[in-house]
Amino acid sequence: MHIPLEHYLIVSGILFSLGLLGVIMRRNLLVIYMCLELMLNAANLALVAMSRFNDNLNGQIMVFFIITVAAAEVSVGLALIVALYRKRQTAHVEDLTTMKN
Amino acid sequence: MSGISYSEILKLVAPEMLVSLAALAVLAIDLLVMREAPQRYRFWTGAAFAGLGCGLAIAWLLAMNPPPHSMSAGLSLLQGTYADDVLVRLVKVALLVMTLFTLAISMESNFTDHIGEYLALILLATVGMMFLVSSENLLMVFISLELTSLSLYILTAFNKRNVESAEAALKYFLFGGMSAAFTLFGLSLVYGLAGSIQFSEIYSKLHAAKIDTLLLAAIVMTVIGFGFKIAAVPFHLWAPDAYQGAPTPSAAFIASGSKVASFFIFAKLMMQAFAGAEGNGAWRHFTPGWLPVVATVAACSMLLGNLAAIVQGNVKRLLAYSAIAHAGYALLGLLSNSQQGMSSLIYYIVTYGLTVLGAFGVVAIVEERTGDASISSFAGLGRRQPLLGLCMMVFMLSLAGIPPLAGFFGKFYLFTAAIGAGKDMGMLWLVIFAIAMSAVSLYYYLQVLKQIYVVPAVEDSRPIVVPVSSRIILSLLALVVVVLGCAPELLLGRLITAIKLASHQ
Repeated sequence: MHIPLEHYLIVSGILFSLGLLGVIMRRNLLVIYMCLELMLNAANLALVAMSRFNDNLNGQIMVFFIITVAAAEVSVGLALIVALYRKRQTAHVEDLTTMKN
Repeated sequence: MSGISYSEILKLVAPEMLVSLAALAVLAIDLLVMREAPQRYRFWTGAAFAGLGCGLAIAWLLAMNPPPHSMSAGLSLLQGTYADDVLVRLVKVALLVMTLFTLAISMESNFTDHIGEYLALILLATVGMMFLVSSENLLMVFISLELTSLSLYILTAFNKRNVESAEAALKYFLFGGMSAAFTLFGLSLVYGLAGSIQFSEIYSKLHAAKIDTLLLAAIVMTVIGFGFKIAAVPFHLWAPDAYQGAPTPSAAFIASGSKVASFFIFAKLMMQAFAGAEGNGAWRHFTPGWLPVVATVAACSMLLGNLAAIVQGNVKRLLAYSAIAHAGYALLGLLSNSQQGMSSLIYYIVTYGLTVLGAFGVVAIVEERTGDASISSFAGLGRRQPLLGLCMMVFMLSLAGIPPLAGFFGKFYLFTAAIGAGKDMGMLWLVIFAIAMSAVSLYYYLQVLKQIYVVPAVEDSRPIVVPVSSRIILSLLALVVVVLGCAPELLLGRLITAIKLASHQ
C-alpha cells in the first residue's frame, strides 16, 4: 500500500500542534517538557517522511542527530527543574513569578 | 565522500579545536589541581587558560590565510558543512573577543564555587557560536545552535544561591526549547521542499519556485525559531527575565556573543538559502515571502522594546528591553537584503555586543557593591566612582545612538542600507519608524545617566572601590566604542571587502 507524503505531513503537523498546545496550556513543568519532545518528534517524523520521498538520506541522518540533541536537552532541562525544586519546592509554572520590574 | 583527510579537517577547524581543548583543560585543571586553592586564585588560573585558548584561536584565524573558496579543501571535503572565508573569520574573531571580555568581567563576581565548569561552559558556548557562524548546512545550523543554547541555559542557572537564577534559566529553557522545535520543523519543511540540506542547493531549488503555503509555512517557522534567539517581538518573552535572573556576566554573554552569531546565521540563511523567496515588504506592496514577515517582526520589536523599556526599574531588565529594540533595528540590515545591508548588520551587531558587554560590566560591579541592579542603586555613581560613571555614559549614549559613538554610525549605516534597498525606497516607512523610535529610546538611557550624574547618592554611600583590572577592562571597552565610532572604517572597511570576496566565490 502506498501512503502519500501529505498524510505523513498532516500527522506530523497535528503532532506539532498538539505539542505546542501542551506547552502553552499545561501547568506542570514535566508535562511541558514532554510536549516539547512531542514537537521535536513531529519534526523528526516530517524529516523521515521527506527523506523517503526525496530519495536521499540527509533527512534520516538529521533525525539521528536530533534524537541525541533532544536527549541532551532533556538532561539540561531536568537539571534546571531540580535546581528550581530545591529552592522553591515547586514544579508549576504559576509559581515562576519572582521577577517583576 | 571517499578520501576525506582527517588532518585536513583538523587543520580547518583548528580555532574551534583550540577553544574546545581550552575548555577541557580548564575543567581538568580546576577539578584536579586547584580544588583546595582560594577562589580568586582558581578563577585567575582558569581564566588565564581560557583566555590563552581564545587568544591562540584569534591568532590562528588572523594569521592563516583563508583558502580561496574554489579550491577550498573544506568546501569540497565536507560539502559545505563547514564554510571558511574572510567574512566568517572576521565574525569569529569578534565572537572570541567578546568571549575574552566576558571572561574578564566575570573575574570580580563570586556567584559560584564551580569555577571550572563556569569557564568551560562559556568556552563551549563559544565553540557552538563559531560552528554556527561557519555552517552552510541545515544540520550544522541546528546542532551548533543547540550547543550554544544548552550551554547558555546552564550559564543562566549558575547562581545557585539566588532563586531568580533557576527560574530565569527555566523560562529561557522553555522558550528556547520551543524555538528549537519551531526552527527544526521549519528546516524539515525546507529540506522536504528542496531535497537538500545545503544552503547552495536549497537556493538553486527554491529560487525559481512559486511561493506556496508549504514554503511560506517553512519560512515563517524558521523566522519564529530565530526570532526567539535574537529576542524579537513577539518571541521576546524570555529576554527580560533571563537577563534579570542570570548572573550578570552570563547575561552579558547572552546579549553579546549569542546575538552576533544568531544574527549572522539568520541573515546568511535568509539571504543565501531563501534568496528568491523574499517577497516584498514595501508599504502597501506586500507580497508573501520572508521580507514582509521580518519587516513586521522588526516593527513590533522596535515599538514594544522601546516603550516597555521606559517603565523598567531594574537596569538589567531595561537592557533586556533595549536589546529587543536593538534586534528590531538590526533586522533592518537583513531587510535591505543586499551586501551593504549585510555589512551594516554585522557592524551594528558587533558594536552593539561590545557596548552591551561594557554596560553589563558596570552593572555587575554596581550590583556586587550595592546589592541590586535597580536604577536607584546607580544614584550618585558619577561621584562615588567617576570612571565607572564615565564608562556607563559612553555605553548608554552609544546604545541611544549619539554621535560620535559606535551606536550612531551603526544605526546610520543600517538606515542608509535599508533606504537604498528595493525599488522606490520601499523600506522608507520602516526607517522613519525606526528613527522615531530611537528618539524615544533616548529617554530611558538618559534616565540611567540622570541617576548617575544628577541624583545625589543616598547618605551612607562611600566611594565604590573598583579593582584596577576591572577599570582597565571597562575603559578599554569604552575606548573601543569611541574608536569604532570615530573610525568606523576600521571594522566596516574590512567587512565590506570580506563580503565582496565571499560573494565572488
